[in-house]
Amino acid sequence: MKTYNDLEYLRLSKGQKFLYRLVSFFAAIPVALKNGCLGIGRFFKNLVTAIGRELADIVLTFKNGDWKTRLSYIIMGFGSMARGQVLRGLLFLLFEAVFIFYMIMGGGHWMSLLSSLGRIGPHDEYSAVLDAYTKVYGDNSFKILLYGVLTIFFIIALIYTWRLNIKQNKIAQDILRSGKKLRSGKEDLKSMVDDQFHKTLLALPLTGIILFTVLPIIFMVLVAFTNYDGSHDGYNNALFTWVGLKNFRTMLTWSGSGVNYSATFGEILTWTLIWAFFATFTNYFLGMFVAMMINKKGIYLKKLWRTVLVLTIAIPQFISLLYVSKMFAKNGIVNGLLLDLGWITQAIDFMGSQAHNALLPRVMVILINIWVGIPYLMLITTGILMNIPADLYESSRIDGANAWQQYTKITLPYMLFITGPYLLTSFTNNINNFNVIYLLTGGAPTNAAASGAAGSVGYTDLLITWLFKITMGAESQYYMASVIGILVFLVVAIISLVVYNVLPSIKNEEDFQ
Amino acid sequence: MASVKLTKVKKVYDNNVVAVHDFDLDIQDKEFIVFVGPSGCGKSTTLRMIAGLEDISDGTVEIDGEVVNDLQPKDRNIAMVFQNYALYPHMTVFDNIAFSLRLQKMPEDQIYEKVTAAAEVLGITDYLLRKPRALSGGQRQRVAIGRAMVRNSKVFLMDEPLSNLDAKLRNQMRAEIILLRQKLNTTFIYVTHDQTEAMTLGDRIVIMKDGYIQQVGTPAEVFEMPKNLFVAEFIGAPKMNVMRTELKREGDGYVVTPFGVKLAVDGGKSQELAAKHAPTGEVLLGVRPEHITLAKEGQPGAIPCTVEVNEMMGSELHLHVVTEDGTRLIVRVPTIDLEPDQRHGLQRDSRLYITFRGKVMHFFNPDSQENLLN
Amino acid sequence: MSNKRHMGLRASAHISNTLIYIVLVVMSVVWLIPFICIVLQSFRVESTWQVGYVIPQKWGWDNYIALWNSDFKRWYLNTFITALATAVGQTVFVLCMSYTLSRFRFKMRQGLMRFMLVLGMFPNMLAMIVLYRVLKDLGLTQANAVPGLILVYIASSGMGYYVSKGFFDTIPKSLDEAARVDGATRAQVLWKIILPLAKPIVIYTILTAFMAPWGDFVLARYISFGTSAGMNVAVGMYSWLQQDMIGQRYTMFCAGGVVVAIPVTILFMCLQKYYVEGVTGGAVKG
Repeated sequence: MKTYNDLEYLRLSKGQKFLYRLVSFFAAIPVALKNGCLGIGRFFKNLVTAIGRELADIVLTFKNGDWKTRLSYIIMGFGSMARGQVLRGLLFLLFEAVFIFYMIMGGGHWMSLLSSLGRIGPHDEYSAVLDAYTKVYGDNSFKILLYGVLTIFFIIALIYTWRLNIKQNKIAQDILRSGKKLRSGKEDLKSMVDDQFHKTLLALPLTGIILFTVLPIIFMVLVAFTNYDGSHDGYNNALFTWVGLKNFRTMLTWSGSGVNYSATFGEILTWTLIWAFFATFTNYFLGMFVAMMINKKGIYLKKLWRTVLVLTIAIPQFISLLYVSKMFAKNGIVNGLLLDLGWITQAIDFMGSQAHNALLPRVMVILINIWVGIPYLMLITTGILMNIPADLYESSRIDGANAWQQYTKITLPYMLFITGPYLLTSFTNNINNFNVIYLLTGGAPTNAAASGAAGSVGYTDLLITWLFKITMGAESQYYMASVIGILVFLVVAIISLVVYNVLPSIKNEEDFQ
Repeated sequence: MASVKLTKVKKVYDNNVVAVHDFDLDIQDKEFIVFVGPSGCGKSTTLRMIAGLEDISDGTVEIDGEVVNDLQPKDRNIAMVFQNYALYPHMTVFDNIAFSLRLQKMPEDQIYEKVTAAAEVLGITDYLLRKPRALSGGQRQRVAIGRAMVRNSKVFLMDEPLSNLDAKLRNQMRAEIILLRQKLNTTFIYVTHDQTEAMTLGDRIVIMKDGYIQQVGTPAEVFEMPKNLFVAEFIGAPKMNVMRTELKREGDGYVVTPFGVKLAVDGGKSQELAAKHAPTGEVLLGVRPEHITLAKEGQPGAIPCTVEVNEMMGSELHLHVVTEDGTRLIVRVPTIDLEPDQRHGLQRDSRLYITFRGKVMHFFNPDSQENLLN
Repeated sequence: MSNKRHMGLRASAHISNTLIYIVLVVMSVVWLIPFICIVLQSFRVESTWQVGYVIPQKWGWDNYIALWNSDFKRWYLNTFITALATAVGQTVFVLCMSYTLSRFRFKMRQGLMRFMLVLGMFPNMLAMIVLYRVLKDLGLTQANAVPGLILVYIASSGMGYYVSKGFFDTIPKSLDEAARVDGATRAQVLWKIILPLAKPIVIYTILTAFMAPWGDFVLARYISFGTSAGMNVAVGMYSWLQQDMIGQRYTMFCAGGVVVAIPVTILFMCLQKYYVEGVTGGAVKG
């Protein structure tokens, strides 16, 4: 491919420039892929060398260590305590004790059953006392999976802490050998609000995130590879177990009988993307438009207009959304009014509670979403619009630009540049916009072809509401919900990745500053 | 009231960029040291390492003989003035100055004494109850200095304290810093990119480039005997003229032949060159604008050239001239030396003759750019 | 000539301004109508059903009295407690996280931020299924849903650090440095310098944290799971609008909506300034 230098590029015609950029973009993909693979390779190479280095250091520390250090390999924190750093040593020891306690209390047991997720399910057993069969509960697959994963977390944490404990010994030995003094417990405590303050600050929030976000997500990702559902609940009815990629196959291929997941998924995904696109951009442009109207010179009562709009933000969404959906119901106010006026003779089914016309409810949710979203965008864009340097407009006016040219050449590029990342997050948030859909239509109208034992599916359902309905459905197919969750993640991740790499406004962070 | 010693201090950032290489410096008690250099030369980084705001990658920093590498800034007993003043916006001037004293749990009446005394010295007594945003640039600068003053710290660090002020105020504050220094009588380390500030304030100047120290010396030393071409061009304004030429031996002395004109290197310089066994051949000749004089046609050593730009500065005239081979030189002519009729001859495009003073020429190795007299 | 041109400009500005006023008035009506309707219908006495007209034929406080005699009191209290506790806990977590990520440069910082970005791409609905089971084991569901809900709201709130980190990033670092040179520990820097300066973002964080539980529906429904005593207003009132209840509860829903909206709206309007600052800053910083 021919490459042009800057001056040659400038002489190309508009079409040629576009073509050139397009070709260069695609020509860059193989290189980027190659670099990506090389990067991954380098990562693993670095990882292996790092592990090697660590191991060598562990061995060396043992060889060169005194007896205090060596004993610390088994009794964590012993070296620190023996050298007078009691607080540190006690913390190490405490961690080791907690770990052993946890393993004995069931951690080890749960982890050992991870590969099968339990052997003995609930069954009836003959009881001589009662002279009858009674139900006896066996293993608990749910607990095995959850606490098994937690145990793995714990083991990783232990290895890290153990390594830290060895490092501490080495450092302490080196310091003592050079004739300096070790930090006392009091100094350790002091450093927690000073040079180690970030660790203090992060401790609680990170623990929260690990326990309440990371662990559940890993658990649910794993559920996609099991048959966990209402009838295989892991304890009461039956155990659940690993099924490999079966659920993904069901989801992505034509299964022939029962629910046709792949077709349903395709349909819902398409609508989800259409919805996210419209919901994001209608709000964005209309919100900006409203902000510009209110900002315009010579418009009075600016504050009043803004306040009226902002009121919608203040009122909890479930009230406004539920109420508006009822306003548009067949026996709602809007239909009542239109009937009274004689404009229509039959109530219109705006929210699709019965009809099988999917278009109207879909348009309605987008319209109502505009009603919900414009105030936010008005607030956001007002601030940014006022920050556009006035001299840009002044100089463009001297250059002879009219209002429309000013908008397309200055306002819009500036706004897109500043709000690029916001647009991306708002797009991905809309993909997962549960509240608006669920509270407005609940997914209606029902898509009879797509619904089945897993739960009913409607034409306004997003992937996320579908996921919810599956877990609430008669069979509670958690494994399918989990597969959908993973697919949603992939969709969001791919979109974010592409946008991050393609959008110049995100890449060239400094252009407008 | 302390000495500061830096031994092989090095700063490497996470992305493996080395900001400071093996920085060695002994700062005496009560000395005023200035770090100067273009932006990105590592001068601020070095200062921040002394303050403890930047980790020291290698080497040691000692204050009063104690290694402070692992001490937090608060434990180093230093005071610092920042480029953008760093006044706490939510506190009044009084609270700003008193902040460090309150952290030391000093009794309030003592704090009152100290703060008002400092405010008196700096002339900001009337503003003690104002918030920083209600102050002008110069007043903010004074508050920042006051905040550092009340601490009785061992070392006084200043990071480009005047660069946010306009030219007039900067001159005034420069004079005040000199007065302040006499009053405080402590060790100062001052960072600037402005060579005038460096020359006027420093007992010694440390000139840096790309993380390396180029030269350490008194203002006179670095001006008269720049170690290399970089220092020569950096110190002095307008900057030194540099041209490629031939250095030859002739009899006892040396001659140079810029623009095909033979100029003798005057007595003292020639002997110094001879003493160093300076090699003849191609050299970079440096001549400061004030060491070029106007000459008459036909005078020995007269170099013909054309005036390109004429800058009238009042007391002196800066002439940008072009020689016949296209080299641009700057000549500084004191206005008082000019006859009224001579001025017409210095307009754009007019021809004139110049010559160099042999005593104050500088010679640099064209490859290493080191001064031949090193 | 130039005078005529001038007149033309004035006249066109006049027309466009008039148009804008018309659009703004229409918009205001559209945005306010639902709220006006909900207030009017909450005073309707003659029928608890949905009806096709707006102005009640008979006015009265009946719906509010019915509200007082229903489970609504409990839901309201539940939500209020949740909102208060969440506002406190979440603000602490978010500030810890965002201040650290803005000010400290530690080894894992970049990795941590990237990790949380990826984590945020998973639909959080997934986690709820597990959290429900775990909380059930801990006895924090159904009637005890309130502490369970508070725990879940607060625990993961560190992930929402973006907006306030963006704000902290705008406070010059040299202030921290000056304070540290002046003898402050890192903790003192946070308390004495940064927090007083971060007042707008602290208020923004408290406000959003306080408002979120009033509108949360999914998680609250999972965790209270059909037990009225553990519901929040959103879950409870949602059930009123389902097929089997809407006939008797529609006007009560309206009354409940008014009772919920009034305090939240007043609070919001008082602190609007801070909300706007936070929302704008958050969008700019991404």
